[in-house]
Amino acid sequence: MAEYRTHMKIIGDILSTTRDDLQDEDGATVTYLIRKANVSHSRISRILQTLVSQGLLEKVDSQGSNKYKISQTGRDFLQAYKTFSGFANNFGLVI
Amino acid sequence: MEFLLENILNLVGFLVGLSIGVVSAIGFRNTGSPTLFRLAIAFFSISAGFGVIWVGYTLEDFVIKSGSLERWVQTLGIAIQTIGYFFIAFSHSIKSLFPKSRYFRSVGVFPLFLVSSVHIEHIFRSVSFILLAYGAIETIMSYFENRNKGAISVATGLSLLALGEFLGWYSFVFPESILYVSSMIIKISGLIALFIPVSKVPMTKIKLDDNFD
Repeated sequence: MAEYRTHMKIIGDILSTTRDDLQDEDGATVTYLIRKANVSHSRISRILQTLVSQGLLEKVDSQGSNKYKISQTGRDFLQAYKTFSGFANNFGLVI
Repeated sequence: MEFLLENILNLVGFLVGLSIGVVSAIGFRNTGSPTLFRLAIAFFSISAGFGVIWVGYTLEDFVIKSGSLERWVQTLGIAIQTIGYFFIAFSHSIKSLFPKSRYFRSVGVFPLFLVSSVHIEHIFRSVSFILLAYGAIETIMSYFENRNKGAISVATGLSLLALGEFLGWYSFVFPESILYVSSMIIKISGLIALFIPVSKVPMTKIKLDDNFD
């Protein structure tokens, strides 16, 4: 059975991919993120737009295509997300 | 003995609730998670509830000395705590408060009918018991899903608080018995069990970010 993921969990997965699992140093393409984070194109486009506007991701123009890299704010957010995700799990909850 | 235990319980409850509330609030500030927001409200309420009783008892015993304030302070404090327990249960599911099952509704009516003529405090205690028991069951169910050891400690804490509330509620049948003292000792143990996993949250590297909402 497919596991239900909250919006926050999807954001966490995208940020984790851009931090730990990059294709190259320029960043990750949308197609790569769709495959790794398992999110539809329309949904990930909206999420990426939000994450860039919040300063969690940096959009890089690399050889004519857009790539995404995690920013320092994104790293801090991801660390906080992982810490408080564990905290909520102690209460049997997901954030 | 009873006075000392009540003071310890209320002080421990105030501090543990405040600590968990602050951690939840920092988590909400950093992640924007509504779950952490509800947990922060829950534990700030629980802390405030214990705090109201502690301050009220202290003022009554050492300053006001009217002899009639303690019962109202206790009722107010327990009511505020019940709001906190509601938010813990609500975080798991709102279904617990609007059950469609006919059986559950009949079970829910029974304790309310029993205590309706006794005191409003006992209504809050019975509601708290139901909410805490539900929270404990959901937490232990989550343990079976993700095997997070912290969940065992929280489930134990919520169960002990529920048992403490039940004994505190039931002690009106046998007043001046060991039930009330047992209830307080069990609730102190429950609060300590709740605090154990929270004390392991690494807060030193978390910083508040004013720009992120």
